[in-house]
Amino acid sequence: MLQLQQIRKAFRQPDGTETPILDVPEYRLAAGEQAVLIGPSGCGKTTLLHIIAGITRPDSGTVKIDGVELTKFSESARDRIRADKLGYVFQTFNLLPGFSALENVMLGMTFATNRSSADRAHKLLERVGLGHRLSSRPSTMSVGEQQRVAVARALANKPKLLLADEPTANVDPRNQQQVIDLIRDTCSEENIALVIVTHAMEVARQFERVDRLDELNQVVARARNAAV
Amino acid sequence: MNVFKIALRSVQYRGLGSLLTILSMALGVMMVVAVLTIHGVISDSFKSNTSFGYNILVGAQGGSLQLTMNSVFYLSQPIDTLPYEYYLSFCDAEVRSKELRNSIAYKGLEEYQHSAELAAHELPLPGLGGFEQLTAELTRSLVRDQRLAFMEIEQPGFFNRFTETAIPILLGDYYQKEDSAWRVCATNRDFFDKLVLDVEKQNHFEFTEGRCFDNFDAEAGYFGAVVGSITARQAKLKLGDRILVTHGDPSSESSHLHDQEFVVVGILAPTGTPNDRVLFVNMEGFYLINDHIKPVRDDSLLSQPAVELDPFAAEEAEENGTTATEGKAESSAPSAAGAKTAEPIDVQLLNRTPLPVEHREITSILLRTSKNDPYNLLGEMLPPRIKEGELANSLKWSPFRPVRAQTGAQAVNPVGEITKFFAFFVDPVRWLLLGLTILICVVSGLSILVGIYNSMSQRHHEIAVMRALGASRPKVMLIMLLESVLLALSGGLLGWFGGHALNAALGPYVESQTGVPLGFWHFAPKTPVFQYLFGNSNLPPALLQFAVSPEILLIPGLILLAIAVGIYPAVSAYRADIAKSLGK
Repeated sequence: MLQLQQIRKAFRQPDGTETPILDVPEYRLAAGEQAVLIGPSGCGKTTLLHIIAGITRPDSGTVKIDGVELTKFSESARDRIRADKLGYVFQTFNLLPGFSALENVMLGMTFATNRSSADRAHKLLERVGLGHRLSSRPSTMSVGEQQRVAVARALANKPKLLLADEPTANVDPRNQQQVIDLIRDTCSEENIALVIVTHAMEVARQFERVDRLDELNQVVARARNAAV
Repeated sequence: MNVFKIALRSVQYRGLGSLLTILSMALGVMMVVAVLTIHGVISDSFKSNTSFGYNILVGAQGGSLQLTMNSVFYLSQPIDTLPYEYYLSFCDAEVRSKELRNSIAYKGLEEYQHSAELAAHELPLPGLGGFEQLTAELTRSLVRDQRLAFMEIEQPGFFNRFTETAIPILLGDYYQKEDSAWRVCATNRDFFDKLVLDVEKQNHFEFTEGRCFDNFDAEAGYFGAVVGSITARQAKLKLGDRILVTHGDPSSESSHLHDQEFVVVGILAPTGTPNDRVLFVNMEGFYLINDHIKPVRDDSLLSQPAVELDPFAAEEAEENGTTATEGKAESSAPSAAGAKTAEPIDVQLLNRTPLPVEHREITSILLRTSKNDPYNLLGEMLPPRIKEGELANSLKWSPFRPVRAQTGAQAVNPVGEITKFFAFFVDPVRWLLLGLTILICVVSGLSILVGIYNSMSQRHHEIAVMRALGASRPKVMLIMLLESVLLALSGGLLGWFGGHALNAALGPYVESQTGVPLGFWHFAPKTPVFQYLFGNSNLPPALLQFAVSPEILLIPGLILLAIAVGIYPAVSAYRADIAKSLGK
């Protein structure tokens, strides 16, 4: 489902020098598989998710999603693939404040090639327990409710792969488990591959597959070895 | 959900900012609409009012625009007057003959004839004395025939061959009620019978109440009046009302109220022309008001024995630089012009007798040149002929000359005058006003830019979210442009309503000042836009003739403006770095 090969990324500093931050020789995920990606701050977790999502282009290497090599395509093609095959749950939810819960979910459908129906948006919101808050604005919803709307939005286009960047970081402990269960259950039901980035070990422990990016990322590994 | 709805939600979310931007744009558009419609409706009315069924205005020498303004639109002051005889030079033999018989000169000849007949009755038996009498009678008869021949009383007027319709009008008096005043126009019933409001549709004047006045009728005598629809409404005049008119502009100190009453016999239906705010009175009655009697030289001969009446002598005397009655004139009280004036005529006596032709004057003549002239050649030929001095010739038939005679007349094409007036004065003002209001629109447009630009920080985050959800760069750019267009069009729509509401509010004032009705549903008249913008260039004729109300152009204009001011935020959105913005 997901294959990363020799992914390298460096950021250019203001003085012109380039600082390597990511060097992942290989990363694979099977269809419907769920994995958690952990690692210390600054080890490149979010950058890796951005590269997988086609938001950021790697300096080298290939990204294949569902057999399609994302890195070969132009930006607009990557946009289309992102809309059709990927779902993304942000740490800060990133709901648009001017839109209702239903509209936020439907916003995810707007840019897909094969648009899902409004009915699916309804069902998804009912699925996440927000059937009664369809027309509520994010500002009137609790943090947990907002994150559930964000999850529903990420699933709106029936993606092949769901990327979740610390989805529980801003959620109170009472709702953390609810959000994780919601994501995992929905992905299982719809056979969606899942990559969750988290700092929370209690979340990571629930997954069969836990990948440590600080080990996968050769930049970090080299730096650690050098320090040792 | 589509891009339009996304843009709409964004506008709604920024409620107050959007509202202020929309109001700013609405203000600009409101002014543009008001300027376009008020100017358009007024200019259209001005131009259409010149197709009344006459194509030439004849008046005293002076400003041609002033003549047009006061004779067609009842604005400004009349230049001067023309002798009534000049009007007769446009009439056919029948009218002219009838009118000339109502002259001092002709009546003098009648008296002359009468005295001759009396003399014949008193003839003694045939003999030497009888022969002398017979000789005297024959001589008188010969003189009379010569004088009649000189008057050419059975002949059509000099300009009649060019004329289809000639209607005299007299201006200068007002009808005043409380603080308002309305123009008085004295004319004859040809004005209502022969003039048409729309040449193509052949619309004539219609009366909502009553009828047109006659030269003389049992109800009002010579003093019938017809009231324009606006005048009737504003002055609350109704049939049977008796009114007094003011001599001269009521705002001037020299004005005074005439003591002769006119009777309202008809109220005109609205015409949408300046005639709606005029009070028309019968010319015959108007002449019978003391102040309207034009002084003539030799007027005193009315009371002299007919035998002393000698138009030839007067003519010869004038050629020699003197007047026939100079000696007598010097002995009488001099007039303002230094000439002897006629004794005041007892108006009450003349109430049943129309004023003699020599005592009459007119402000202008509404002239329709001959129908048998499809290319308006006569219309082109006539004005120069009128300027060449036929005025003096038209006065030669009678020895009774105006004390203060005009030396020349002018003929103008009112359409041409209005076109020139608009080209030189009104259009530049319109362009100036339009320029200013368009500038306001541009400033309002810039407020859209400022509004969007100020929220760019927040927008970058929203754009990044949309991009992360799969929106392409062109799509987010489109959303930004749509938002700008939505703001501009909402402001435009609000401004359009505001502009027309302003028209409705200003309507009564505009109507009272110009006689042009203006309401909410009056639109800026159609204009050949491409011809207006590019002149008679090489564009296809169909394009040059394509006419549309400039209000319609507001829509593409606003869209272009919105795109122009929205392009910067849109490009900024296009270039937004998703990864950076998502991290904020």
